[in-house]
Amino acid sequence: MSRWQLRDYVFAAFMTIGIAIASVITVPLTLSIPLPGVRTIVWAPFAGIFLTLGMARLQRCGSVALMIGTLAMLLSRISWIIGAFLVGALLITEGVLWFRGGYRQRLDRLIGNVVFFASATVTGAIVGAYAAGDAFAAWISQAWILIPMTLLSGLAGAIGWWMGEKIVTQLQRAGKLNV
Amino acid sequence: MFSRKFLFSVNPLLKIGVSLAIVAVALSLKTLDAIVVLVIVLLALLVTSIRIPLKSAIAVIIAFLLFIAFGTLTLSNWQLALFYALRLLALSLPAPVFALTTSPTDLVRALQAIKLPSFLVLSLMLVWRFLPVIQQESQRILEANQLRGVELSRQPHRWFSGLFVPLVFRIVSYADEVTIGLETRGYDPSLPRTISKPLTWQSRDTVFTIASWLIFGIVAHLEF
Repeated sequence: MSRWQLRDYVFAAFMTIGIAIASVITVPLTLSIPLPGVRTIVWAPFAGIFLTLGMARLQRCGSVALMIGTLAMLLSRISWIIGAFLVGALLITEGVLWFRGGYRQRLDRLIGNVVFFASATVTGAIVGAYAAGDAFAAWISQAWILIPMTLLSGLAGAIGWWMGEKIVTQLQRAGKLNV
Repeated sequence: MFSRKFLFSVNPLLKIGVSLAIVAVALSLKTLDAIVVLVIVLLALLVTSIRIPLKSAIAVIIAFLLFIAFGTLTLSNWQLALFYALRLLALSLPAPVFALTTSPTDLVRALQAIKLPSFLVLSLMLVWRFLPVIQQESQRILEANQLRGVELSRQPHRWFSGLFVPLVFRIVSYADEVTIGLETRGYDPSLPRTISKPLTWQSRDTVFTIASWLIFGIVAHLEF
């Protein structure tokens, strides 16, 4: 596989912008709901589109790290907590996808999306519980809340992957994406 | 005299370091007095450095009170609930306080100074530069839908076809154009870059460092 090119970095940066805009649009809808992962569930279908596009275009290991790492640095300006859980989730995703050799196949991208958003809920709950203390930790560590929310986040990520693949096909037809 | 501009002119690397130190200190505190002092200092910095919209301030106060109420209910101890709420504030405040007093240009210079990989600096620069542009694009798409009688804010099921598909096409076009622009100018992220205004240590940085140590000393004294 060839070295990372300038166009790869630029494409990843623009996908990061898309993911950030998806969060600007969706996250305010759920700010008042005190459930772990609920923000990821509404964010994942739309952020997953851009994550899938980035994976489809860049294909190699490190693609998610490049997109989400930049997003984590950007959102660290709002809170270190957001940066920390995003880094946790991207490390898990890259770790899992490292064994599959990147994001070349559709299945790899599906796994990447599901793992990223599900692990974002788990790492978000862990980091949030650590930051907020015992009361919040006791609330979110209940299996009947955390497990369904993690599964729903993974499912939302899969919906994002499905929509992302639809757009990948459209972009290919339009001659705008060379995958 | 502490002016509104003071924090803006402090070395961004120093601000990042101090904010990380505050997070580490906040996580290690166990007494209410110490966390109260830390939060008061952070709030003072916030209020004196940044103009906060009244709506945002009220929303944060309500969330803070709800968090205490929730903690009191689950822990049956209001003091512990107050401690955790203050600790959450102490963990949440440093990043916005220091980020909102640092311009993106200064932050990029700071990241270049610590030899962060150049591709990451490039990515951050692009995101900061084009995030508002793409937000404007999404606003235009929303308005175009409104002109056709489609109110997307009330129809989330149309977000994909009505907002995200055209937005993706615009973003991909921007990515192509920016790549061509950078390549035409011979930009290579792997080559060493020069900085027009390198970061320097100034007297206000020394004042800020001493003040930070003093506050950490007071907090440590109250803790132990």
